Amino acid sequence: MDVLPVPLPSAKMAAVEKRRLPVAQAANFTGSGRPGVSRAAATAESEEDFLRQVGVTEMLRAALLKVLEARPEEPIAFLAHYFENMDLRSPANGGAGEPPGQLLLQQQRLGRALWHLRLAHHSQRTAFNNNVGVAYECLSASGRKKKPGLDGRTYSELLKRICRDGEAPEEVVAPLLRKIQCRDHEAVPLAVFRAGMLTCFVLLEFVARAGALYRLLEDPGLAVADRHVGQAVLDTLEGALQASDDTTPARYLEAGSRLGPDSLALAMDRALVARRPSTPMTREEFLEKAAALFIAKVKPVG
Amino acid sequence: MLSPERLGLPDYEYLAQRHVLTYMEDAVCQLLENKEDISQYGIARFFTEYFNSVCQGTHILFREFSFIQATPHNRASFLRAFWRCFRTVGKNGDLLTMREYHCLLQLLCPDFPLELTQKAARIVLMDDAMDCLMSFSDFLFAFQIQFYYSEFLESVAAIYQDLLSGKNPNTVIVPTSSSGQHRQRPTSGEASMLEGVEAPLFYQCLENLCDRHKYSCPPPALVKEVLSNVQRLTFYGFLVALSKHHGINQALGALPDKGDLMHDPALDEELERLLAQIPGLVNSVTAGPEASCLPARTPPRVGSPWRPLHHARKVDAESDGSTEETDESET
Repeated sequence: MDVLPVPLPSAKMAAVEKRRLPVAQAANFTGSGRPGVSRAAATAESEEDFLRQVGVTEMLRAALLKVLEARPEEPIAFLAHYFENMDLRSPANGGAGEPPGQLLLQQQRLGRALWHLRLAHHSQRTAFNNNVGVAYECLSASGRKKKPGLDGRTYSELLKRICRDGEAPEEVVAPLLRKIQCRDHEAVPLAVFRAGMLTCFVLLEFVARAGALYRLLEDPGLAVADRHVGQAVLDTLEGALQASDDTTPARYLEAGSRLGPDSLALAMDRALVARRPSTPMTREEFLEKAAALFIAKVKPVG
Repeated sequence: MLSPERLGLPDYEYLAQRHVLTYMEDAVCQLLENKEDISQYGIARFFTEYFNSVCQGTHILFREFSFIQATPHNRASFLRAFWRCFRTVGKNGDLLTMREYHCLLQLLCPDFPLELTQKAARIVLMDDAMDCLMSFSDFLFAFQIQFYYSEFLESVAAIYQDLLSGKNPNTVIVPTSSSGQHRQRPTSGEASMLEGVEAPLFYQCLENLCDRHKYSCPPPALVKEVLSNVQRLTFYGFLVALSKHHGINQALGALPDKGDLMHDPALDEELERLLAQIPGLVNSVTAGPEASCLPARTPPRVGSPWRPLHHARKVDAESDGSTEETDESET
């Protein structure tokens, strides 16, 4: 079925005579549920007024701002996801009759927060920070308890979800989670939340890059890498990370130069020349050791 | 993961480059035309469906020509839709005239201009009698070049005319020594006997054109490749070479390679499944040439705007029959 071109419903209607629907009727379906809107819309004459009354103008403005903030590679697909997410959130689809269970509600909130967090890559720091703020509000605003705020349990759950979706092996990211998790009953301030999210996303990217590095070292036939070469790469990485203890720009340059092709190649060459028989290094081990170097730099919470 | 130049553009350039506003504007127009739909599904759902259909390329079906040609993505989607809907014509080896191909195009886009179909046919028929028959793949690839690079080809035609009449439209770019040399050629008796223009000079002009052209152009490296194989060529010779160039087809990305044009197992399966549901039709299809009514079967599934056109067209009895049968199978 999906291989045949299927037009969108609007195309089907294109030939239908353009009739002006009683505006009040349409206004009931915006999901905004603002009282008084329908009466005002009924008097609206122009299409512009109609769009404003039913909330289209506001919706598109918000969507366009999101596009500009995130600058996605594929803005049209981005918009499709954006509206899909909005549609899922609207009360019409949340099961209007019975209120969803507490657990389901919690899952929905997590899903929404994750969606906001992923809108922009963490290197687009302003956009990312905004989205972290929105995600924080998503999670903390709709709590059942009297005092609003984000508890440690929800925060930990979110961290776990991010790591799981990031496809990093569990044992690799577990040390990080131990370090930046909060206690279940603790209230998590925004600053801690933001630092946690950022660290988590950066680690996932770090692990992904380490994985790519390992693939280069890997013996294609055996699916393992030589221990000495692997260790030499890890040592170089460690040296570079130690150099970047201080945050002055000169330190960044130094770290970069230590990881430059020539010094890395020298280290690998030395390891190859001094080759002794040894047990090979697996992918898991390499990733775990690489991640440990990163995690050692993370300041623990509290 | 990151393409930094995208992040450095000013807002309006970023939006214009990806035609975001074109689609947003169209989404709003569609919404205003279909207020019934939003009263049923809600606005967010409407926009979700709209932008999903843009991603899938089904948004151009039965739309007006001005929209279909509005963006490169719309053009590629239309080419793809045309191929997928009517490729059975090619599969059966049927040859059609320019007018018949035009009717097929109008099934997908009611106000598709005849002029464009004529221009495409001219590439296949090399300006010969325009009522000749053409194979589906010949027409499709010629049509692809003509439709997708429409504005570019218009500029190319102007440059070609200038070169033919001895003017060099590119005098600023071409170094004086070589341009002087070229300018003398057409005036000499020898050159006027030859057909077309010199390929290297033509390429210099086109390279310059690609640099400043705001519409889509074929990749300059591939244009160079096309032109480096020959000494001289005519305008239609150039278009034929473009339309047959494998790499240009790939760069455009709407259609598969010529060899795979008829190969789409998923669609075949779907068609067979549909045919099996229609009692009494299977025989006539396996019988042979009547199978040309197959392409007509795909569009009727999608509804009303198509039907009046279909009847207006000079159609044979079988494809009319198939329309109704398909409708029955759906009920």
